Amino acid sequence: MNFIKNLQGLDRRYVFVFIAVAIIMPLIFPFNSLTYTTTPVENLYQLIDSYSPYVRADDLNGDGIISEEEAIAFKQDRAIFMDFFHDASTMPELFPMEVAVMRHCIYRRVPFFTFTIMEVAAPIIEEAISVVTDEIQKTGRVIERGKDYINIGYKPPALYLPILLGMGDDIAAAVETDTDGNRIENLPMYRDTAIRNYTQMNLVYETSGSDQGLSWMIYARSRFGVNVGVGLTAVMAADQYPYLQSGQCVGMTAGLKGAAEYENLVDMFAMNNLTFSKGQLDNPTEAMMANLDITSDTVPTKFKMARLGMNAQSVAHILIIVFIILGNIGYFLEKKKQNKNL
Amino acid sequence: MKKNIPLAIVIILGFIFVGWTFIPAKWMQDDFYTAFLEFTKTMSPFAVFLGIYSLVSMHYNRIRRKVPKWGYSYVTLTGLVVTATLGFVYGTQAGTPVQWIFRNFMMPISATMFSLLAFYMATAAYKSFRARSIEATVLLVAAIIIMLGQVPLGMAISRSWPINILDISQWIMDVPNLASKRGILLGVGLGSVATSLKILLGIERTYLGGGD
Repeated sequence: MNFIKNLQGLDRRYVFVFIAVAIIMPLIFPFNSLTYTTTPVENLYQLIDSYSPYVRADDLNGDGIISEEEAIAFKQDRAIFMDFFHDASTMPELFPMEVAVMRHCIYRRVPFFTFTIMEVAAPIIEEAISVVTDEIQKTGRVIERGKDYINIGYKPPALYLPILLGMGDDIAAAVETDTDGNRIENLPMYRDTAIRNYTQMNLVYETSGSDQGLSWMIYARSRFGVNVGVGLTAVMAADQYPYLQSGQCVGMTAGLKGAAEYENLVDMFAMNNLTFSKGQLDNPTEAMMANLDITSDTVPTKFKMARLGMNAQSVAHILIIVFIILGNIGYFLEKKKQNKNL
Repeated sequence: MKKNIPLAIVIILGFIFVGWTFIPAKWMQDDFYTAFLEFTKTMSPFAVFLGIYSLVSMHYNRIRRKVPKWGYSYVTLTGLVVTATLGFVYGTQAGTPVQWIFRNFMMPISATMFSLLAFYMATAAYKSFRARSIEATVLLVAAIIIMLGQVPLGMAISRSWPINILDISQWIMDVPNLASKRGILLGVGLGSVATSLKILLGIERTYLGGGD
């Protein structure tokens, strides 16, 4: 009887200890696990990649490959817009996907705007930008604020709708200045390119722990036809499935899993200067496999945070399932015993 | 008067937005609406002042009255003054003191609070997830499949099984989940339209306070 009771009524402190160990150990001792990419993540990746000059530029010397010089010479006419709508509490889930998308953009030379209406998200944008640019600048490439990306930064929530709608005509008129107070029309990413409104900035990627992405679908997509992709905490992902199926949402990175999938795609394709291919995804080359080994130092830790976290999440999920099964075994044994006593 | 003026503001502004949505003429889309937006821009700084005033006055009163745990109000006010001052003096870009405060205080504190959820969810699942009825059993099985399908280890475990756990997990999300979500969304959408109309026509007035 005691055994049955224990199965059902294990003190919650023991459960806490088990969960803590299940989460901490895989983080201390990382291991490689297979990350299967899902269609919503692949769609988002492919759309961002399609804006890259490595895909769009002319192959001037006819060698079949777009070189760095050819990519730089290309007059950029595509960009993405990243809207950060979360505070630090959801960073463990959302930050890795924001870093992965930014890293993808920078390596593939896709210009991006960053923006938030949450004052607590402004430092998150700065953090993400510094994480990505610091690492890339170690390779000798200089990343320039205002040229490779524009950080619009924080704008008051009252301006959300005016900005969202105003960018359909002209980004510079809608947001006026970046976070440093520079006028958008004076920044090279606007001044020297063809990027003006949603026609060129044809993807909004919104990260949040809520259904805030809906605003972009309702106002910007229906009015201007802009593509909307979302990055969400896992608990909010189920809410977006109707929009994914209808095509109003072109792609989604959901929770740590979505972030891990995106990290994988960046390491497999962007880091090897390749365009996405389903065939190569199933049969990766040695160079791709080297980048996927999270136990080695090939990829800096900050760019594999989601995959490292997925190990902990894996073990925690299995442990929770074991607890649920144990609780149910105890419940049925007790029920059987009660029926016998009747 | 106290109710009629706010009511009139809501109705007039509400109809302006309806007009902007449904009237494609240039005078509405560009001329009128652009001018109207300038008011919005002007109003937002006042909201900040209102927020700061509200926060300071509430915590000042808590300290003055020595209500339980009043000491924490000092922490809040100190945080407000220090962060705002540093932000005004040094800016908020990478490498500034504000960014340091964010990285070393806000990030760990917020993440810790949110991560506590994992522990509570684990105990709640263990204590209350019982196959007491057919409905509860369906929920239980679906939850286990989704949990396994979400993690690589679950995929690895199910590899030797005759069916792919990811396919079942994806089917649950794509079909039953989507159908129920869509049903809820349609209900919420229709409810929102009805409520919006009631507000625009002045029938619904509870937002003014004091019931009808």
